Formats: sequence, structure tokens, C-alpha cells
Amino acid sequence: MKNGVKGLVLIGLGFFLISRLNNGTIFFYINSRFVWLTLLAGIGFFLVAAGYLFESQAARSSHAGEDHDHADHDHHDHHDHSHNLSRIGLLLILLPIVLGTLIPPRPLGATAMADREVSVSGLSSAVAPKSSQVASSDHKKNLLDWLVAFDAKNDPQAFDGQEAEVVGFVYRDGRFADDTFMVSRFIVSCCVADATPIGLIVQWPDAASLKTDSWVEVSGAFQAGEFDGQKTPILVAQQVQPTDPPNQPYLFP
Amino acid sequence: MDLNVVLERLQVFVTIFLGIFIEAVPFLLAGSVVAGLIEIFLGRETLHRIVPHQPILAALAGTSMGMVFPVCECGVVPVTRRLYGKGLALPVGIAFLMAAPVINPVVMLSTYAAFGWSPILVGRIAFTFVIAFSIGLIFQLARRDEVLLPTTEHPEDAMDEPPAVSSGEHPTIRQRLPSALRVAGDDFLDMTRYLVIGCLLAAAMQTLIPQSTLTAIGQGPVTSVIVMLALAFVLSVCSTVDAFVALAFVGTFTPASILAFLVFGPMVDIKSTAMFLGVFQRRKVAYLVLLPFVMALFLGVFLNFNVGVLR
Repeated sequence: MKNGVKGLVLIGLGFFLISRLNNGTIFFYINSRFVWLTLLAGIGFFLVAAGYLFESQAARSSHAGEDHDHADHDHHDHHDHSHNLSRIGLLLILLPIVLGTLIPPRPLGATAMADREVSVSGLSSAVAPKSSQVASSDHKKNLLDWLVAFDAKNDPQAFDGQEAEVVGFVYRDGRFADDTFMVSRFIVSCCVADATPIGLIVQWPDAASLKTDSWVEVSGAFQAGEFDGQKTPILVAQQVQPTDPPNQPYLFP
Repeated sequence: MDLNVVLERLQVFVTIFLGIFIEAVPFLLAGSVVAGLIEIFLGRETLHRIVPHQPILAALAGTSMGMVFPVCECGVVPVTRRLYGKGLALPVGIAFLMAAPVINPVVMLSTYAAFGWSPILVGRIAFTFVIAFSIGLIFQLARRDEVLLPTTEHPEDAMDEPPAVSSGEHPTIRQRLPSALRVAGDDFLDMTRYLVIGCLLAAAMQTLIPQSTLTAIGQGPVTSVIVMLALAFVLSVCSTVDAFVALAFVGTFTPASILAFLVFGPMVDIKSTAMFLGVFQRRKVAYLVLLPFVMALFLGVFLNFNVGVLR
């Protein structure tokens, strides 16, 4: 592969990263904590690509004639540049851009949830001691804050009567009665590879009519109950309102 | 299966694939830039002079080089490759490759942030050191040309007459920097092929094998360690942040298996294995996967039986 092509590929990757930052879909992939790294990498790609430009200026005079004839040969155009990336190599490198462009970006939702263990009544561990401390004071508790609180108290009844207002997507499967659903979010500590779903069981007469994967805002009060043989606080909804997916679909502990 | 379900699955797959890729790419780029700087600014003789030759000291040097080059398991691969191109001794590079993703300031700090001053933090550093050191010594027995790919030994572009060096006068940084960047770009593109393959495999494993299957298997002193090692391999999470990921498993898995996860994952996972293929002979890559696996497994099981709960 010639230097010009390599430079273009790097610029393409840079643009890809920057465009994901620009339209906010970056939050579909990684924890917001690492977004600055993506920005740095985007800028870095342009810098490294500039290295090729500077060098190929120097090289242009010496290689000028032979470049066109080599277009169809992938291997061993002798002292030309470095590790001659093959067509397949090029395709692999461009694959993230290709897949990212062809398949419309979408955050993980109910489909991905079917694969994973969902924690309903508290987290198995202190995933987010820090965020919960900040949140507990005044700001509205999100799903993760509630689950951390359940975990800390370890008593489903302790929350009876407390009011909550949470946003999440709708999840239902065979275990749910007609009047229950789960309002869920994924928590992502690094990138979606480690995404873990969490959820609150909601009681709502029209639960069966809600579309799986649609985003809702649920307000109501907790009442200890049982789900799937497990004692857990259940959010008895006063209101379930359809809402737009938030800019950051995941919660970052 | 109807088309919609297939499409949704595909979307999950692509999201996870891009997630791992986007998260890893800055680190690989940073590693490649370091590799480029090494290529242009570090002379063979200098390297030869500063790295010890006595086997044990050499392996020791390899394990602690991460303190100088703070890289994670993506960045470490191009750096190691360039150092080999400069004639670095085989065991030093192996020990560096295995240890640097943990024994470096950034990862130590993130582990501290996740676990505090705990046996997990100390154990992670200590056991990574021991395992990397041992594997380095084991590779002392191997012949260089049996382990490294010819392209690792002689990176062709190193001979691509660095523009300024030949011109008589002492080259300035301004003249050499573009060359360093070009080498960085070459290394990045070269390694990215493997990174993409690794990300594809990791995403495929995650979409095809539900995580719940894995977590359902293992609570026993042996199975818990095996499952956490398998998870470390499949998840392919960057070593700079894997401590936070491990935190999520603290209640479900034995502490020793979590320690094994934190020691093994940075050494070997799907994406780094794919990248090893760009540096080492295929059969030797198998050793580089199996040796740490067996050692981490032994470590985890031993601790589970003999120390019990270390918290």
C-alpha cells in the first residue's frame, strides 16, 4: 500500500472517531470518562497522517514513475514501503468505518439483555460507591443509585413508600405478568464489552401494551414485593410516560 | 429466525465490536507513536548498552520496563516489536510484553482506585511480576529465529533510508519527527489488522455465548478461576480499566479468581493474541497464551484452597 493511501486511511479513521464524537453516538460505545481519549486519538490520526505527507514529498521525486504499475500487486513490490498491506489488510482496517456506516448506530437494548444476567434487587457488589454518594443528597436518583441503595440496605421493605422517578427502556420476557415490566439501563464501566444490565420491576396495569425497548419515564412509589422468587422493592407506577432516549443511554458508575 | 431478530443481533454485535475497537484504538495509536520514536531516536548500541545481558537481570529488566513505557496490552505490542527490531534480547521483550500492561503507573493507579490498598492490588503486581519473570526465563531457552517473525527481526522500513541520517550533518528533530510519525503510522496500520480481527472475535463470542452461561457455571474453587480466566480472555478489556470491570464480579466470584482475572487478562486476551500473531511465530503464540493461563490458573486455585477468602 502506498503512503498516500495509508495517510488517507488514517485520516478516515480520524474522521470516523471525530464524527462519532460530534453526533454524540460515542456514548453508545464507551464510558464518558474515556471520551477525551477518543478525541486525542482523532487528532493523533491527523498528525500521524501528516507524517506520511511530509515524507512522501521527499519520496515523490524518486518513486514517481513506478507507482501506477503496482496497483494490482499486493506483495513484494521490493524496496517500496514497509509491510505491504494487502487488500484484505486494508479491508480489515476499514471494517470499523464500513460497519459503523452501514449499520445504523444503536445503543444496546433489550436484545442484548436476553444474553446477560440482570440484577434486579441490588447489585452483587458495590459497583458504584462514588456516584451514589454524590447523588444521594439532592439530585434525582437514577436507576443505578436506587440499586446501590437497595444493596446497601439489604432490606426490600426499607424503601416502602419512597417516591422515585426513573428513566429507562422497557424489558419484558416470559417471567413477567401482564401488569409488570422492567425499566432498565445498561451500566458500562469501560466500553460496551462490559455492559451489565440493571433494572427495576415496575407494576403498571398496562404493562403488556408497552413496546419492548421503548424508552419510558416511570414515576411512582416503592412497595416490597416478589419477582421471580426473589424479594425485591417493586416500583408501583402512578405514571408511565414515553420519552426520548437520553443522550447518554448507559449509566456510568 | 425472522429478519428483524437477525438484524437486531447484528446491531448488538456491531455495537460491541465498535465499543472494543474505539476504546482500544487510542492506546494502540499511542503505543505505535512510542514505537515510532524508538525506531528513529533509540540507537541499537544504546539499547544494547542499557539492557542487562545476564539472564536473570535481563528478565527482571523486562518486567520493570513498563514503568518507563506506560502502555496497556494493545500499546505494548508495537513497542515490543520495534524493540526486537532494535535487537532487544528475546526474554527481555517477552517479560516486558507480559508485565508492562500491569506494572506501569497508570494501571497501578486505576487498580488502586478500584480496590484501594488491598491484597488484590498487591497480589496483582506481585503475581504479574512473578509470572512475567518466569515466562521470560523460559524463553531464554528458545532461539530467537524460532520465536520471532522475520519481519519483526528486520522491519523493512527501518532500511528505508531515514532521510536525514545519510546526509552527513547531524539530523535535527524537525527532520526526524516526520519519519517517526511515518513509522508510527506503519506500525499502527499493521497492528490494526490484528486488532480488528481480535475485536471481531471478542464481539462474536460475546453475542454468541451469553455471559450468564459462564457466570452460572462457576462457583467452585476451581471452576470460578477457570470462568474468570475465560472471561478475561473473551472480554478483552483494556488493562488500564479492567480493575473497574473486575469490581463488578467481586460478590459473585471468589477473590482469588478475581485476582487471576486481573493478572491474566492484561497478559493475554483475544485481541492481544491476534496482535501477537504479527510479531511471533504462530506456534510460539500458543505458548504465550498457554503459559500465563496455566500459571494464573495454578495461582488462583492454590489461593482458593490455601488462603481462602483474601479480602
